[in-house]
This record gives sequence, C-alpha cells and structure tokens, in this order.
Amino acid sequence: MERIVNLAEKLSELSIANYNNPYLLFEWPENLDEDAWYFTPEYISIYGTSEFEQLTTADQKRLSLLEAVNFFSLNIHGEKSLMRGLTKRLYHNRPKEVSDYLHHFVGEENKHMSLFGKFCNRYLGKVYPSRAYEIPNELGEAEEDFLFFVKVVIFEELVDFYNLNMSDDERLHDLARGINQYHHNDEVRHISFGRTITRNLFNQLKPEWSEEKLFQIQAYILAYIESTWKEYYNPYVYNDMKFENAYALFETAWALDGTRAHRAKAGRKCYKYLLDAGMLIQEPEV
Amino acid sequence: MKSEVEIRQSLRQWISTKSKTVDVEKLQDSTRILEERIITSVQLMDLIMYLEFLMGKPVDVTQLKPGVFNTINSIYESFFENTPTSSSVSEVVKC
Repeated sequence: MERIVNLAEKLSELSIANYNNPYLLFEWPENLDEDAWYFTPEYISIYGTSEFEQLTTADQKRLSLLEAVNFFSLNIHGEKSLMRGLTKRLYHNRPKEVSDYLHHFVGEENKHMSLFGKFCNRYLGKVYPSRAYEIPNELGEAEEDFLFFVKVVIFEELVDFYNLNMSDDERLHDLARGINQYHHNDEVRHISFGRTITRNLFNQLKPEWSEEKLFQIQAYILAYIESTWKEYYNPYVYNDMKFENAYALFETAWALDGTRAHRAKAGRKCYKYLLDAGMLIQEPEV
Repeated sequence: MKSEVEIRQSLRQWISTKSKTVDVEKLQDSTRILEERIITSVQLMDLIMYLEFLMGKPVDVTQLKPGVFNTINSIYESFFENTPTSSSVSEVVKC
C-alpha cells in the first residue's frame, strides 16, 4: 500500500506540473484537408485486404478519417466507462493520496473525451455508437476492483500504442498528430498507476483463488482483449465507406495474417506485463 | 428467409465456438449461457456484432431489456421474432 501511496503522490505532482487547457491547444479548421491522412495507413483496420488496395488514394485518405473517428469514438466509450469506475472508487477504501490522484485521472479523461467528441462531431457529424453492454454481476468488491483495473490497463496500453506512433507519424494532419500526442502525455501516468494498482490487487487476491478461479479470471482477461481489439474493426466504418459487405469485410480483415501480426505487435508491451505478473499464462491468440 | 432453425443453429455454433467449454450438441436453447459461464459478459460486445451480422442491421444497446442474453431462446425472441431475416448470410451487409 505504501508503494501505491507514493506513486499516487508523485503522479499528482506530475499532473499538476503538466496541467493545461486543451481547448486552447489546437487549431480546429472549419473543414479538414481532404488530401491528408488522419490515421496511419498501415494501422487502418482493413490494411492489406484487396478492398483497401483497390481504393483510390483519395478514398484511402477518406477511410483514414473514418478510422480516426472510430478510434476516438472507442476512446470516448472506454473512457466513459473508466470514469464511472474511477468516480465510484473516490474516497472509498483507499488512502486519501489515491483519491487525490483519481481526481486528476478523472479530470484528464474528461478533457480527452471532450477533444475526441469535438473532432468526431465537427468532422463526421457523429460519434460511432458503442456495442458495449454491461450486466450486473455478483463479484466480490476486491475481485471487481481487480477486473476493473486490469481492463483499464489493457484498454489504455492498446490505445497508447496508436497514440505514441501516430503522434510521431509525419504523414498525419497536425490536428490528428496533436490529439494523439496530447492523449499519450497523460496516458503515461494513467498506465503507470493502473499497472501498479492492478499488480497489487492481483498479488493480494491470487493466493485466495482456486486453480479453477484463476483459470476463469485468465479466460475473462483473454476475452476482454479480444473484444477490445474487435472495436478497432468496425463494420459501421465500412458501411460509411460504401463497401458492399461490411460484416464480411470485418471477418476478412480480422482473420488476415497481417492484421494478426499488427495486433501482436501493438499488444506486445501489454501482454508482457500481464504474462510477467501471472495474470495470463499464454499470449492472446487474437 | 433464413429460418428460425438456421438462426438458432448459428447462435448455438457461435456460442459453442466462443465458449470452448461446451460442445454445440450439448448446448440447449434454454441453457443459461451467462449464469453457467458458457460465455462471459465481456463477450457480449462480440455477440452483439454477430447478431448485427445475422440481422443485417445495427443493435441499439441502449434499448436492450434486462435478461435479453440469458439464453438462446431469449436472444431469438428479442432479436429475431417478428423481424424479417435474410435468405443468405452473405447477403446481409448493411449496418
């Protein structure tokens, strides 16, 4: 517990030192340049399919905008869920230093969502809807706590792969690069906090779990990773691009060797953390 | 039209494949798939996408009623009963 208190204090100081006003950071043109990339071409979900190859460069760039909107949309839905979980944990069963940091965490997530929403609504007129459906569970508080934080880590680690690399991709429009950079700057702290608290919770709970229970937990984590990845392959996007068979294209893109290799590469850091901690015993086959 | 029998068979096959813990032959339409941990709650998003594929239209998750995913029976009744379905999965394309 001492470690998490010290980390929370340090991260709070960093959040204060890096506090900024995102509403003044970016220039928002009335219309976006149609001749620009908004998502790294090689990360576009159908990259490598014949459907992608047959698009004109102009259409590939249009698709990159839709993929950026999908990426920001899935971030909005993920962060909404994250904020509900974080606010539930404010001033509850943890030292005050943790609550102090959770305030920064929630505040930063709120600002991210606002930027993502502005981009989606301004340039596509919509946020893609979520398919996430939550059902009540009967988990104990500690177990629910662990599963909440491990999902936070997985979600943010995968997102950060994109943020980090796209902020560095000079082919992308400045606004897309800037939003990715801004998000990455905060996520570094969130991931650090998430990793530490998740490992602490896991190490506390694991001795109490039977082998069967541990297997169930690991299966749940694997299923969450797969579900999270599938949000990046959105038939709504393919439909907006007027592809004839949006769901078939989803299946084709998902099963492609190239996209499997991409997911393995993008998830490597996250999977290593989960494997090293014993939260997984095998690399996800997604 | 894809028949009720075909839709139920498709659902049993999908759930069995995703579960890895239950054979499709042993899965009943009345089996409580979440309660019995045949699939987990995090797989619902994936299931919803599959339902969209079978139906050929998007699912608005905000309109779903509690218990809709309890069994294959409840899934069929909620998503397919009185809903026109396609004669061929390959023809189902629009979100």
